[in-house]
Amino acid sequence: MSAAREMLCDTARAVFAEAAPAGMGPIEEAGFALLLVPEDAGGFGGDWGDVNAVLQIAGVVVPDLPVAELIVNDALQPAATVSLMAGAMGQALALSIEHVNTRQQFGRPLGKFQAVQQSLAVMACEVRAVEAAAAALAARLDAVGLDVAAAEFEIAATKLRANRAVGVVTAIAHQVHGAIGFTREYELSRVTIPLMRWRGAHGNDAYWAQLLGRQVAEFGGKGLWEALTAR
Amino acid sequence: MQGFALYPFDPPGDVAARRDELRAWLAVNQPQGDIVARANCWASFDADFSRALGAAGYVGMTLPARYGGGDRHPLERYVVIEELLAAGAPVGAHWIADRQTGPLILRYGSEEQRERYLPGIAKGELYACIGLSEPGAGSDLAAVRTTARETAAGWRINGQKIWTTGAHFSHIMLALVRSEEGSERGAGLSQLLIDLDTPGITIRPIIDMAGHHDFNEVFFDDVLVPHGALVGTRGQGWQQVTAELGLERSGPERYLSSHALLAALIDAAGADPDPAVASLIGELAAEMWTLRRLSMSTAAKLAAGEDPMVEASVVKELGNAFEQDMPRRVQAIVTSGWDDPDDLARLLRALLIASPSFSLRGGTREVIRGIIARGLGLR
Ligand SMILES: Cc1cc2nc3c(=O)[nH]c(=O)nc-3n(C[C@H](O)[C@H](O)[C@H](O)COP(=O)(O)OP(=O)(O)OC[C@H]3O[C@@H](n4cnc5c(N)ncnc54)[C@H](O)[C@@H]3O)c2cc1C
Repeated sequence: MSAAREMLCDTARAVFAEAAPAGMGPIEEAGFALLLVPEDAGGFGGDWGDVNAVLQIAGVVVPDLPVAELIVNDALQPAATVSLMAGAMGQALALSIEHVNTRQQFGRPLGKFQAVQQSLAVMACEVRAVEAAAAALAARLDAVGLDVAAAEFEIAATKLRANRAVGVVTAIAHQVHGAIGFTREYELSRVTIPLMRWRGAHGNDAYWAQLLGRQVAEFGGKGLWEALTAR
Repeated sequence: MQGFALYPFDPPGDVAARRDELRAWLAVNQPQGDIVARANCWASFDADFSRALGAAGYVGMTLPARYGGGDRHPLERYVVIEELLAAGAPVGAHWIADRQTGPLILRYGSEEQRERYLPGIAKGELYACIGLSEPGAGSDLAAVRTTARETAAGWRINGQKIWTTGAHFSHIMLALVRSEEGSERGAGLSQLLIDLDTPGITIRPIIDMAGHHDFNEVFFDDVLVPHGALVGTRGQGWQQVTAELGLERSGPERYLSSHALLAALIDAAGADPDPAVASLIGELAAEMWTLRRLSMSTAAKLAAGEDPMVEASVVKELGNAFEQDMPRRVQAIVTSGWDDPDDLARLLRALLIASPSFSLRGGTREVIRGIIARGLGLR
């Protein structure tokens, strides 16, 4: 990660933490609305890689605030949602690992049981896939200057992939947590409930699968590979 | 595993031009045989094709020119491999030699071994097999019992390997053997490069559930190989093998083995597919695109000299699941009968039958998940 992006992330972490109890005020004051505005127009001059990094943090710290709406236009909301989802899934995984390493049953940490290890490996694969898809989408959006039409394949593929991961990730995270994860006090539901909501927002599975399937059908069997490798 | 970023996939040279060259070459040189051979094509043996591919510079690409290789960047090879697999080219004969035995000989082998084997590998004429599994050592590979004892005349080998893919057509086996008497588990193992025409070796076919002869049992009965057959450091076989397995887990073969079926499904669906078919195609395309990006990132990391063991395992796990899911889900929505003669039906049947092996070969699903869990800090 570049030094500039790292600084941006540090700022986002601090400002979002302040906003978590206070609402959008601190985020607006810190100027996050200018993230994508070019420098010569008085903005931060960021790219989608920056948006992806910032929204992953927002997905963990302020999942219920309209940060994505503040930063990007309507057409890019599906892409923005993917970044929120990637962040929240990373957090669900981190909480799960921490929990199974500390919670003891049968005289051992839960994480020492193979069944638990295998479940978390499955979950980690889903999280990694969504993070990779979000990063690849960012690369595409930046390559085409945020032209949504030119990145339609990647937006569809990424939102669909992220949607499909939600079921696996939320189910395993809650399963390994046991009853504590089902409480309002414990922080897991602060990311799992938003994940459930985001799955249906800005295009559910059926919507993106249809759109992508029709596009690929037009490419044809051989054309799919040619299209993938030409992008 | 926090803070994941994609590693940039940036091969030198004009990648698009290289792709076009290879596609043009395949249009002329790829055998037009049975479409079913295009699925799981890294198990399709075709010596003439391998030789032609070698002559065209597409085998041993990353080996140094002084050993007949192409002096190419690993990511240039990656591009070639994904094109060959997407086209369903029959790369099975030279596959293992090109993918892992050649690079391993370059890394750990003696100068004599390099000069002796690498030029044939780069020509696509010298084939290799992997001698790891034994009847008592499957997932628990450290239980290997085949012994090699150093004598004045060389190494004397006794024991048995099993499930050895391609042993019946290979010239050499890279075998993991117990070289130190009384040793246990991962200690005391070494790798030997064994010429398979050495007296005392018996190779027996094992027919798989598809009716194919791909893997074998290999028996060693007082087999004598020269001192120079040792690869790398005596007693370091376990460490060397672990590195070798890393090379084999994250390649494009983990999500492109069934590409012929996806292409056939898309063609059968036509330009205006019904909604259920369109959805399935969309979901499969999304997964494939994601897997390709992950695999490319992992390859780029490997090429940069890092050791992305966990990421490579993630690619294998997700790729295996994708490829096992695909034929099942296709079967659930198409009307093809089991014995129908069309391409889609025949590919479907072939992959339904082949796919149980995907999460066994190269490390079982459970073993791979265990590696990922270790990466998460759980073991
Ligand atoms: C098509 C094909 C090609 C192959 N080619 C080669 C080759 O060229 N060279 C070679 O050396 N080998 C080859 N193999 C062998 C392959 O590496 C082994 O099949 C694999 O390592 C598993 O060993 P096993 O078959 O003995 O199964 P086992 O180890 O007996 O495992 C059976 C099941 O039990 C599970 N299991 C085992 N131990 C544990 C545990 N501790 N915890 C949880 N689950 C466990 C496994 O995951 C698996 O699901 C090939 C296999 C196939 C199917």
